[in-house]
Amino acid sequence: MRAELLSHTSFKQLRAAIGYSGVSDGDLLPHASFTFAIEGISRVCSHQLVRHRVASYSQQSQRYIPVRKLRERVVVPPSVRELGQELFSANVDAASQAYEGLVDSGVPREDARFVLPNATETNLLITMEGRSLLHFFGLRCCERAQWEIKELADGMLREVRVAEPELFRGAGPYCRQLGRCPEGRFTCGKMNEVMEMYSCVSS
Amino acid sequence: MELVLVSCTPEVEALVATALLTTTSGAKPSALFHRLQGDPTRVREIVGKVETQHGSILEHNRLGWVLEAKEGEVLKILLDSRFFNVLRLEDSKWLLSANLRTVVEYIGKKKDAFAGALLKSLRDVAPTLCSCIEAGRL
Repeated sequence: MRAELLSHTSFKQLRAAIGYSGVSDGDLLPHASFTFAIEGISRVCSHQLVRHRVASYSQQSQRYIPVRKLRERVVVPPSVRELGQELFSANVDAASQAYEGLVDSGVPREDARFVLPNATETNLLITMEGRSLLHFFGLRCCERAQWEIKELADGMLREVRVAEPELFRGAGPYCRQLGRCPEGRFTCGKMNEVMEMYSCVSS
Repeated sequence: MELVLVSCTPEVEALVATALLTTTSGAKPSALFHRLQGDPTRVREIVGKVETQHGSILEHNRLGWVLEAKEGEVLKILLDSRFFNVLRLEDSKWLLSANLRTVVEYIGKKKDAFAGALLKSLRDVAPTLCSCIEAGRL
């Protein structure tokens, strides 16, 4: 998995351009955008990602791009690697065989792809404005987030902290942003440890 | 009404081309982007073929303007397109921002002074798209 910040609004430039000191960073956040290249995530992860609706996505199309060598193009969760690699691989091989068989029989790629697993890798571009990005970090950097999207969110946070260190110094899971855990009875119970960890996240 | 472009994400057209190729090629988006950054001719070629049906490829950017206008004029803009973001700076001074898709769709739909000012502001940051709009191809 890889996340690279390709382009973003320079906050310094934006603030200088409007020349008003009375405007807060929070007011300006929706007027700044951040575009990332996201590579090698699973379709499971991209399904979770697109639930963040205030964002723009351009994702690799399985209608246009054939999926070759599926075994090399899947994301394997750590638990599967540890406990069920054989079963997982057998299923991927079967899916791969079915996909290629369907394509060879003349079934269009847009239909053959129905047999592909959620583990299939994908690449995409994502653009979020600053406020939505902070919300994304608040939810997805949380200890309760699923491991793959958390890994992705952490990678994106590292990128923006390099590009706009002042703006994203307080970014991270909501406990870091709010100074309290909003997860109620589902709290991980490690708030201080998590807050400390996110005070150090950098490149 | 007066509109001045004051901020823009860099490499607008290279990103439009990257988004287009990301959806239709097997190459990684970061590799596509870095390749296209150094090839303005290829960027012009790709962006010149863009059609509005897949407007999402025009969304990977943000443009910001300072707008001098009356409340009623700003309200009209917001009623015409809900995708503009507005921040009041002074009584008749506003920070307005949007992505290229919003701008292109507004210009395509409206033929008013605001649409004209928007188009003019694109000339430096998205010259190929601007030419396509002027030529009626977008």
